[in-house]
Amino acid sequence: MLMVRAFVRPEKKDGILKSLSQAGFHAATVIDAVGRGKQQGIKIGELVYDEIPKSLILVGIESEARDQVVDIIIKNSKTGDYGAFGDGKIFITKLEEVYTVSSGKTGL
Amino acid sequence: MKEVMAVIRMDKVNLTKKALLDVGIPGFSAISVKGRGKLVEDPSVIEGRKETILALGRSKEDEKAEKMVVEFLDGTRLFPRRLFTVLVRDEEVDRTVEAIIKANRTENKVGDGKIFILPFDEAIRIRTGDSGNSAL
Repeated sequence: MLMVRAFVRPEKKDGILKSLSQAGFHAATVIDAVGRGKQQGIKIGELVYDEIPKSLILVGIESEARDQVVDIIIKNSKTGDYGAFGDGKIFITKLEEVYTVSSGKTGL
Repeated sequence: MKEVMAVIRMDKVNLTKKALLDVGIPGFSAISVKGRGKLVEDPSVIEGRKETILALGRSKEDEKAEKMVVEFLDGTRLFPRRLFTVLVRDEEVDRTVEAIIKANRTENKVGDGKIFILPFDEAIRIRTGDSGNSAL
């Protein structure tokens, strides 16, 4: 199993969650975050904004679904056809065990 | 070393803190998050809860209220939840999970939360520079 953490634009969040749900990945956790990327924030003249609001979407998935989920997130979080700075990043880590509290069962 | 991530109900935060302390895991961090779980495919699972909540609002006949309650329970909406992150040694994982499950299980059948266990490579205590298990 894998844990997908996607940092995306807050305004793209709903579209991503909707598409994920339609593809069968309904469960997700959303965290409001601030951060900066490789471009060191946004510079407007002398002003530097380096705490840019982002949404962090956490999704636990089976390993086989990796490409599908990454595709969905990338497709829905891109700005325009070619993408733009600030569209976000996706991090994927191993997920060893999952428990559902109400039943105590393991697995997603 | 393992990272235990638990998404739990807001009103179970204090119980969870206490339960973790009881099994000897004092350290944790928690963030407010929004999330949703699996869609409820079998309406009978939420039937009991639906009746309870509708009874609270005296609006059992109101279709709009019923629709709202169903949406609220079947998992189509994002819910406020608390995300606990606990870093533990390998041998502490089982009792941490047990404690969280015990503190958070309810009779509501849905919405009690999920626990994720992820591996992580290194922990460093900033004050001393200690790394590994002794830094936890």
